[in-house]
Amino acid sequence: MENVGYFAPSDVGQALELLAEQGSKATVLAGGTDLVPAINYYSLWPENLIFIGALGLDYIKEEGGKLLIGSGATWTQILEDPLVAEKAPALAQAARQGGSVATRNAGTVGGNLANASPAADLTVILLALEAEVLLKSSAGKRTVALKDFFTGPGETVMNDDELLMEVQIPLPAGSAAFQKLGRRKAMTLSVVNAGVKLNLDGDTCSGACIALGAMAPTPLRCSAAEEMLVGKKLDAALIAECAAAAVAAGSPIDDQRASAWYRTKAGTAIVARALAQAAGIGG
Amino acid sequence: MKSILSFSLNGAPVEVLVKTTDTLLDVLRESLGYTGAKRGCDAGDCGACTVIVDGLAIRACLAIALTMSGKEVVTIEGLGKQGDLHPLQKAFHQHGAHQCGFCTSGMIVSAKTLLDKIPNPSQDEIVEYMSGNICRCGTYVEVAEAIQAVSGGKE
Repeated sequence: MENVGYFAPSDVGQALELLAEQGSKATVLAGGTDLVPAINYYSLWPENLIFIGALGLDYIKEEGGKLLIGSGATWTQILEDPLVAEKAPALAQAARQGGSVATRNAGTVGGNLANASPAADLTVILLALEAEVLLKSSAGKRTVALKDFFTGPGETVMNDDELLMEVQIPLPAGSAAFQKLGRRKAMTLSVVNAGVKLNLDGDTCSGACIALGAMAPTPLRCSAAEEMLVGKKLDAALIAECAAAAVAAGSPIDDQRASAWYRTKAGTAIVARALAQAAGIGG
Repeated sequence: MKSILSFSLNGAPVEVLVKTTDTLLDVLRESLGYTGAKRGCDAGDCGACTVIVDGLAIRACLAIALTMSGKEVVTIEGLGKQGDLHPLQKAFHQHGAHQCGFCTSGMIVSAKTLLDKIPNPSQDEIVEYMSGNICRCGTYVEVAEAIQAVSGGKE
């Protein structure tokens, strides 16, 4: 890898021009926590790296009824930010369970989304929170709901000339929860993970979002399971039934982290825990 | 393509010629001769290459070197030296918080950033914070003891 180009634009306009010029020859570099191992192990041979860490995209703010998180915000920023803690605590809860201190200090929310791992942790809670992403190119901009963003493992609807600028979470963010099962507690990818958001009207559920990770080629929204909860009072029996329906929407595989059989069993428990936590039901 | 990278290393300015795909770890160890940060996994998993960049612990193996332009990098070599060890280095020595020693520099660098942030960490805080540094010899108990011994400024 002697001849890889390096560009470190200092503003968004320059970055978008570089992406427009280079198209598929450009590889966007943010925190590097997913990209650099691939370079180190020669599974990725970039032509040009465009480093976007100096574009000022590391903000977290509330505006127009939404929590706006710049794509360059790190996991550490998210888990320590008082606004996230107040408005979307489940997101902070998910951030705390990813990687290690040192990888959270570097890795970004934009990278977690754009890398499009089916097992990504921030992704699954953002999917449950009905987040959208703002994409920009030199030709214009668009917002895409996360449920329409992922097209396969490592694949998204983003074009080569587009940059993921911002994550937008509609507020209020309901009563949400994130649960993850890894092979150990720290520094581990999820065997299965789940994010849920419930809108509760007293103890009746008026709306539900259930997202499931590592159970399909992309992170999943489980609409059939969501509908089972609407208009109902949540109790242990309904949660168990709903969790089984959520996992039935998946198509898990056997891999080095777990078998499909295990993912189905564990996923049911993980979704049930997330639902119970969001509903404030003990256990 | 080679470019000149300028950054601060342990308080002194350095300039070095690097390839785009060189990581900070490559440059520290192979171009600059700072071998305190170890190459364990080269994938961010083990923590042996932990260094401090602008006050935060990061994995040197995951940082493209050129992204360090203008930043302040501190390695284990910047914490203490022979005859003038950092309190954590002394405590790791006194508590036997190392066996083969491969993970130790990363452990001490991580521990330094923990104490910068939380001067008196609880046992749980130490365990959670240090969970990204892996020791194959199993010195975790002694590592936590050494950190406890230094916390709050007492050695």
